[in-house]
Amino acid sequence: MKKVLTVLFVALTICTMVFAQAAAESSKKVQLRVLNYIDMSEPNSANEIAQVWDKFTAEHPEIEIIREDLFNEPFHQKVEAYAAQGQLPDVLYAWPSGRSSTLHTEHLLYDLTPLLQKDGLLDKYNPLCTAPQLGGYLGELPNGVTATSMMFVNNKVLKENGLSVPKTYADLKAMVPVLNKKGIEVITMDCQDGWVMQSCLFSLITGRFGGADWAEKVAAGQMDFEDKWFKDALTVVDNLYKDGIINRNTLSIAYGSGRADFAAGKSAFYIDGDWACASFQTDSSTGEALFKPAAQQTDVDLMNFPALEGEIVHESNSAVVGTGWAIAKDIDPAKLDAAWTLVKYLEGEYVQTWRLTTGAAFPSLLSIDVDKVCKENNLEPLVAKRADWYNRIQVATPVIDGVLDPAVYEVINQVLAEIGLGKKTE
Amino acid sequence: MSYIRDDVSAKRKIGMVLTYAVLILFTILAVAPLLWLAINSFKTSQDYQMNRLGFPRRFFWQNYVQAWQRGHFGIYIINSIIYTAVTTIAILVLSFMSGFAFSKINNRNTKWIYGSYVIGILMTLQSIMIPLFIVINQVGLYDTKLGVLIPYIGIGLPMGIYLSTEFMKSIPNALVESARLDGARYFMIFRSIMVPMAAPVGTTLAILQISGTWNEFMLINMLTSSMKNKSLPVGIQSFAGSLSTDYGKLFASLMIGLIPMLIFYIVFRKEITKGVSAGAVKG
Repeated sequence: MKKVLTVLFVALTICTMVFAQAAAESSKKVQLRVLNYIDMSEPNSANEIAQVWDKFTAEHPEIEIIREDLFNEPFHQKVEAYAAQGQLPDVLYAWPSGRSSTLHTEHLLYDLTPLLQKDGLLDKYNPLCTAPQLGGYLGELPNGVTATSMMFVNNKVLKENGLSVPKTYADLKAMVPVLNKKGIEVITMDCQDGWVMQSCLFSLITGRFGGADWAEKVAAGQMDFEDKWFKDALTVVDNLYKDGIINRNTLSIAYGSGRADFAAGKSAFYIDGDWACASFQTDSSTGEALFKPAAQQTDVDLMNFPALEGEIVHESNSAVVGTGWAIAKDIDPAKLDAAWTLVKYLEGEYVQTWRLTTGAAFPSLLSIDVDKVCKENNLEPLVAKRADWYNRIQVATPVIDGVLDPAVYEVINQVLAEIGLGKKTE
Repeated sequence: MSYIRDDVSAKRKIGMVLTYAVLILFTILAVAPLLWLAINSFKTSQDYQMNRLGFPRRFFWQNYVQAWQRGHFGIYIINSIIYTAVTTIAILVLSFMSGFAFSKINNRNTKWIYGSYVIGILMTLQSIMIPLFIVINQVGLYDTKLGVLIPYIGIGLPMGIYLSTEFMKSIPNALVESARLDGARYFMIFRSIMVPMAAPVGTTLAILQISGTWNEFMLINMLTSSMKNKSLPVGIQSFAGSLSTDYGKLFASLMIGLIPMLIFYIVFRKEITKGVSAGAVKG
């Protein structure tokens, strides 16, 4: 019995010493709770854990990341629950407005401007990305600026039908009989969800007629949605359907479904946000692409929507600051340095370059030379074409659901759908 | 006479043909989506987008491997089995016990207590989600299996108690009374008379709970944060986004989630059919 007790005592002592040492080592680390938005449905995004998170852990052994990976609706539901509970993770992915409105309006995020200033980083980012957001301050540091209306051109279809890239609305209209005769649509959009027409085309049209500052003027009472500029914008949408440039049956096309039709040459143009670009590139998990790299070079191009009669701004596009990383306002001060180190890494040169190579986002860091990255990494032609396309945008105008209250833009979405169905004209 | 017999026989044949036609139609309606899913789970996302109804241009088995690895299905499938098994057993046991008490051991408070349970059927998950999240956090059960199981059982109980009570009400009281006269205690009556007789409703309840818990997503997403406690639907959801969907892996992951349910059905199909039909008649 004595022997057994002695063995147990020794074993207990050793265990205590081992665990005490492990606990001491662990206590030296700063623990950060992170809520990550991981988009595994996007081609080429699967390597994020190894390429981004594992690398950070290896470079910063003093910081322990307790990461929760979520996606889409579940992500937003969880953020709302955390916000209601008052237990936001230390570092989290966030939107500049829209889906993260609660975080901004209730000032649950740390103001990142002083941190950027302290490290001399404020002028290293695109100025649009460091501007105050919905809460009146910089709540999240964006990955980049998102243009919400990218018009993809199927050069092959145009060439086969003796057509060229349209410069005006009238040019587009002239294509209708030529293409429809062969059963080809002029523009495909996936308008089943109300936000698509509003975000991916109508915001651009509104900007063309209302100017870059229409949202501020509406907020100040200097412009109204009853005014001619807005009615003209709605008339353009009505005409797009009436003239057969966009088929009314696009209202029954689920979001994302039209990409394959466009790639298959069933339409000459496809309109979506700039984020759709990646879905045409090669998916590293399958080795397949809707446009193979050689076809990207010759068969597909990117353009701005053609000029509209009566527009007051030319070559504009609707743009919104992208998603990015934020720090919880109530973070334990002892963890702030670690959290800022992580955010700087996630919005730093390495991660933003990696995101560029996957096609996920264009960098907000001005120091990243996109052309150089394209050449060095032998990126697919669409990446370079996308970079060139951004350079051609002369003016950035607001995106409706980025600047207006949901109660307002949901009515606009509804009206656009009714115009699409032919039930309303404006 | 033979004309009449021929006429009856012809009518019977037409009836048989119509019956089989309807049955074949329903079989196709039930099986076609599964077949479509199985076929498309071998397409790459690009192949699916370009060729939605045809056969795969090449069978891309990697969808299953990648879905399994990237969706963390190794852990999630075990968790799903644990949550489904524990929840179903607990709900069956507790619902039967409550059903027996509410239907056969009445007192003046029974209807109030019974009503207080059954009213839970009217509560939607969305309406209790945030309060539940806060409570689970406050009692220190956030991101634990127990913190998931307790709400699962609690949310499933109202329907379980309602079905069990109503079914047991249809069992004659005389059976319970005679057993009592013979000296049987309530637990013995419950075990030896009520449970065997209520087996059909038990099967119905088990089917509802198994499919409900196996597919449950909202609560598991809300009440857990680490991979070690999440379940299959979380893994499946990760391949469908608002701006893009990886169809090949999504379909493969749906198949992975479906296979255990199919095996369950194949193994227990006789019991399930018996239970559902008996439950339908008596319940």
